[in-house]
Amino acid sequence: MENANEDTNKIKVGDFVIVQRQGYTKLHKIKAQSNLILGSFHIEMDNVIGERYFDTFQMKNTSNSKKFYTLEKVNEVNSVVESLNIEKSGTDNRHIQVNAESQGLSKEDIDKLKDEQFGSSNIVEQLVNNSKTFNMKTEYSQEKYLKKKEKKYFEYIVIRRPTIRLLAQMFYRQDPTKTLGIRVDDLSQILNHANIHPEGNHLLYDSGTSGLLPAAITNLIGSKTEGHLIHMHPGNECQKNAFMAMQFPQEQVERCTNVNLYSVLRCFYQNKDSYKKTQDTEIDNSCEEPAQKKIKVEDGEEQLPKKSWQIDNERACRILSNRVDSLIITSKEHPVNITKELLQFLNGNRQFVVFNILKEPLMDLYNYLKSREDIISIRLCNNFMRNYQVLPERTHPEVNMCSGGYILTAYKLSC
Amino acid sequence: MSFEGYKDVIEEGDSVILYLTITQVYCVKAQPKIVNKKGNLVDNVFQTPFGALKCFDLIGKYYGSKISLSKGWGYVMQPNPELWTITLPHRTQIIYTPDISMIVLQLEISPGSVVIESGTGSGSLSHALIRAVKPHGHLHTFDFHEDRVKTARDEFQEHGFGKYVTVKHHDVCVNGFGDDLDNKADAVFLDLPHPWLAIPHTVKSFKDTGGRICSFSPCIEQVQKSCLILSKYGFQEIQTTEVLQTQYSVQQRTLPVLNLECLKVSKEEAELEKQIKRDVTKVMSAIPPASVPGHTGYLTFATMPPVWARNVQLNLSDIDDCNNE
Repeated sequence: MENANEDTNKIKVGDFVIVQRQGYTKLHKIKAQSNLILGSFHIEMDNVIGERYFDTFQMKNTSNSKKFYTLEKVNEVNSVVESLNIEKSGTDNRHIQVNAESQGLSKEDIDKLKDEQFGSSNIVEQLVNNSKTFNMKTEYSQEKYLKKKEKKYFEYIVIRRPTIRLLAQMFYRQDPTKTLGIRVDDLSQILNHANIHPEGNHLLYDSGTSGLLPAAITNLIGSKTEGHLIHMHPGNECQKNAFMAMQFPQEQVERCTNVNLYSVLRCFYQNKDSYKKTQDTEIDNSCEEPAQKKIKVEDGEEQLPKKSWQIDNERACRILSNRVDSLIITSKEHPVNITKELLQFLNGNRQFVVFNILKEPLMDLYNYLKSREDIISIRLCNNFMRNYQVLPERTHPEVNMCSGGYILTAYKLSC
Repeated sequence: MSFEGYKDVIEEGDSVILYLTITQVYCVKAQPKIVNKKGNLVDNVFQTPFGALKCFDLIGKYYGSKISLSKGWGYVMQPNPELWTITLPHRTQIIYTPDISMIVLQLEISPGSVVIESGTGSGSLSHALIRAVKPHGHLHTFDFHEDRVKTARDEFQEHGFGKYVTVKHHDVCVNGFGDDLDNKADAVFLDLPHPWLAIPHTVKSFKDTGGRICSFSPCIEQVQKSCLILSKYGFQEIQTTEVLQTQYSVQQRTLPVLNLECLKVSKEEAELEKQIKRDVTKVMSAIPPASVPGHTGYLTFATMPPVWARNVQLNLSDIDDCNNE
């Protein structure tokens, strides 16, 4: 058991990892030899292979190139704020004048320092020593200055195993449109309101959240359970960055069926024989009479082998014809037609969730659902989320906020 | 047994959600008799604004179907953690769905997770936690109030969640979580008046691979103390956040339109024009309620690193969600 654990915690070639430098995170696939561009840094990632998740690495300058860094595993880090000996602090800022001369080091001097040995402890100490105003700053202001500079020249990174939380935050920070504007609190409520039990069949239409939604639902369905997800998408290939990053075990991956919305519905309406027949051969294998079996085999000889997308479509149609236990729609498109179409596959006595970044399309949907007699408890809401800086004597909401999207939830009756 | 999985037909003993209108949602039990407040066994009749409901009659009905009442109708639904949160009997202040959702996602709980919760309270969060950890995981929930422990235990049993949860009567601030939970937990949730007293005890409960913690506190002073202790005990990525939800009512409103053009012509002409034009317009709007909850509690999340990384004190707390490249 111990050994097995050791292995899963080791960083291996082929793993997707999240590289974290302070608050900044980036997804990276480990190859035998690979570089990562993190802001302005080019980092050679070879040295993380064989180390463990959550290990810390120091970025070291390489001799041959200015921008290139290698990584070295460390067991302790130097914190500027703690290591620096501050002798004097001011009481307020009345004597501090803003001019270009307050910092004695020029940009060239700093660049030189960076090239010699990149690292916050080294550079920040020099910055402080050459600052004419640092000792006049108040204690709090000094700390803020140090934190700000430390962040800029921070030389440590941590390798993390991707989780839904880290992925959601990462995509949203990089660009909210990567997840259709779904913020982490939106995601949490979409999932909760869909009432996803590990044993059910679940239906998702997602027009592009970098694979975050299918990954999050598959994560809730869990490994070694009975649950199944049908993930409908509008294109030829679905987005699956987040899904790949989660590195689910194979049996779990297989319980997420990715199908094109148009092609699966065409199959459902126009090709009923294809999936019904397969169902018979799959399920009734044991009790089937040999004679019948023979006929089927003969029939089959004429046909071309089925393509994998056809098999997926048929599998999805079989599940859809038995109806599903939850429905989530996160679409760029106007949601009314999609919801109207997909609601038929939802069992009665189940809830469904529709997300949109805009309020108006969901108002249209609200009015449409109101006109139906089999939908109750329709709620339209949005969220206000804010983070806090919590520091002794300096607690306040963070300066930046962002606005989330809108969520519509409702229940379908069974009649 | 009605919380476990998806169910079609109401069986005797099931908890059933009775939905009348968006603000009138109740939870009743499908059984012939019930113990009243005086402790006597009486017929289980539930009085609704639309007439009385004999709860025994619900047995055999389909979940999600319409039922008639003497002065109207209602719908019967299978309960789930969200409906339970809005219908449960309050024994304490409870945590509502926006916060619950955030807690489940931020604690990184999935089927198989082992989660510690303290206190149990009225069990609003517990139901959502159990749904998230089952079928292989487990919830260990603690409360220092003996009656609440007993009631919660009975409730989980009745709801079919008994095998996924252990309810203990225990003051975790004083006694910790017990040696049997050493190195067992993936996530810890604290809703306590003095969370900073319990935080030190959580460290040894985490698995070697580490995990996540959340502390829910209504007051900022509690948050400040908790954050200091979290950082002292080696937690990382310490982040405090709050989530508030607004529910909109979608309505069509009719607004009068002032005709100011008529001022440019003589009175007689204006009269004529006025007769032709209707001076109202219709707008569709999503209207927030006149008053919304402005505060529930602060959620403080943090990460306990795996054992091999616990000596490295790295400041990962500067998570900045919003476009701070």
